[in-house]
Amino acid sequence: MISVRGLRKHYKVHKRPPGLKAALRSLVHRSYSTVKAVDGISFDIRPGERVGFLGPNGAGKTTTLKVLAGLLHPSEGEVRVDGHVPRLREDAFLKKIMLVMGQKQQLLWDLPPAETFELNRAIYDVPRAQYKQTLDELVGLLELEDLIGKPTRQLSLGERMKCELAAALIHRPRVLFLDEPTIGLDVAMQATMRTFIKSYNERYGATLILTSHYMDDVAALCPRVIVIDKGLLSYDGSLEALVQRVRPEKRVVLRLAEPVDDARLAPLGKVVSHEPGMAVLQVHQEAVNATISRALASLTVTDLTVENAPLEEVMGELFAEGKARRAAAEGTP
Amino acid sequence: MLRRYLKLLGVQLKASGLQALQYRADFLTDGATSLAWTFTALAPLLVVYGERPSIAGWTFGEALLVVGWFTLLQGVLEGAINPSLTGVVEHIRKGTLDFVLLKPADAQFLVSTQRFLPWRAINVLTGVGLFIYAFWKLGRWPSGLGLLASGVLLCTSTLLLYSLWILTVSAAFVVVRVDNLTYFFTSIFDAARWPASVFRGGLALFFTFVIPLALMTTYPAEAMLGRLPWQSLVGAVLGSMVFAWVARRVWLRSIGHYTSASS
Repeated sequence: MISVRGLRKHYKVHKRPPGLKAALRSLVHRSYSTVKAVDGISFDIRPGERVGFLGPNGAGKTTTLKVLAGLLHPSEGEVRVDGHVPRLREDAFLKKIMLVMGQKQQLLWDLPPAETFELNRAIYDVPRAQYKQTLDELVGLLELEDLIGKPTRQLSLGERMKCELAAALIHRPRVLFLDEPTIGLDVAMQATMRTFIKSYNERYGATLILTSHYMDDVAALCPRVIVIDKGLLSYDGSLEALVQRVRPEKRVVLRLAEPVDDARLAPLGKVVSHEPGMAVLQVHQEAVNATISRALASLTVTDLTVENAPLEEVMGELFAEGKARRAAAEGTP
Repeated sequence: MLRRYLKLLGVQLKASGLQALQYRADFLTDGATSLAWTFTALAPLLVVYGERPSIAGWTFGEALLVVGWFTLLQGVLEGAINPSLTGVVEHIRKGTLDFVLLKPADAQFLVSTQRFLPWRAINVLTGVGLFIYAFWKLGRWPSGLGLLASGVLLCTSTLLLYSLWILTVSAAFVVVRVDNLTYFFTSIFDAARWPASVFRGGLALFFTFVIPLALMTTYPAEAMLGRLPWQSLVGAVLGSMVFAWVARRVWLRSIGHYTSASS
């Protein structure tokens, strides 16, 4: 469905040091530097796959997404989406894709969302009967009945985002590009969006690429992740395997009936946190069973769970690794 | 193809109409503003013609026709061209032009038809009112052929104004803030209230070839008076088409260089 080979996107940006003198000098003599937003990445995505793009801010995720959507022209490399070259922006291609950006909106501000839907129906040339069916479905699944008749400016952020999603799906796209679709939403609304996106993917077999800072989004939606760091692809595979690789340790959470000293916990594993009634230990995967038996034998445990480290932490570690590696390569401490 | 775009235009017009209805008070303020501007446009004319019967070969009644065309075109500019294209500048700055470029329809068409201010039609009516008054002052009526020619020139003038705006907006892809350019353009357009023969030398050349104000207001007024040579009519039609073609090329080049705003 999507194939990317050696994609590069470099920008020339105007650079000047701070201060009035430098500002005046830059009026006459401008110096430029090249920013390598994306610096040679390749991957393939099969039809119906759900893939998460992960990476720190400025890693090149959004740039890649925009190249795939045809908004930005690649500096180098070959990109195909369902047989189309995105930068040509052919109508047939544009009718197959959609892009939702959590920080930007396409809804007409002064009019109810229903008017934007109608406008998109006309632009995408959706037959009336299909439009009605899609709209009914979207209204039902996203619970929009009371919203689509109110002027957009009177809707809350979460309500607006649901309508944004609906507006982008009126033409039943087969490829969904979602750039931070849940940013700023409360936990319940995030969950609603996730459930809906997943059900759309399952129902229509749509391919989905998501970027998000909320690891819960990625964990709930994307069996596969592509990690981009400083414009380079640093991992492509399952989320589970990534966690295994970065942090092979598991966390054993113990609920305790009576207080214990740190000294009694230390031999069991690395103590991550310890408060009255609860202790979290970090142990290597192979040692999990042994640790559990020893804990049950030596402590009064009322409840016990084994978890992976929080994704945010895993990602933090991964990005820090990348930074350290780059620093080492450049020979700076 | 044409049918599809006419349908799209209809939908965009409907959305603009609905937006205009959301703010009904605008109707009154726009109407009052438009009338006030017409009178300020007339003031210098009244002062100048108070002293002499004609300027650069134009009598008061004839010059009124030029002001009429100026008012009418101002209505077209502010009602149908300005709002959409000012919106583009905003789109480029905020990065929401992404959504326009993702639509399976011509981006120039979509941005040019996204917003209309129907209340500005008052200017068009005021312009027509000025024509009637001017001819009553002149004591005669225009010929059918003259009216037809001025109708054609209305189309070429609108096309010219639109093309100039597209060129201005294309600059927004490079400099991002074009507020100054739009002000500059609006103030230059102000010179179109005078018959073109008032300007001499460099200014005459500038207003004919660079920013063809002469074509926009003086030609249609002359056509109504039945004294526009047919070569000028053909020249205006061809000239406006060249302008539109250049504007289209520049626009296409500009969106090729669009870098989008970061999220």
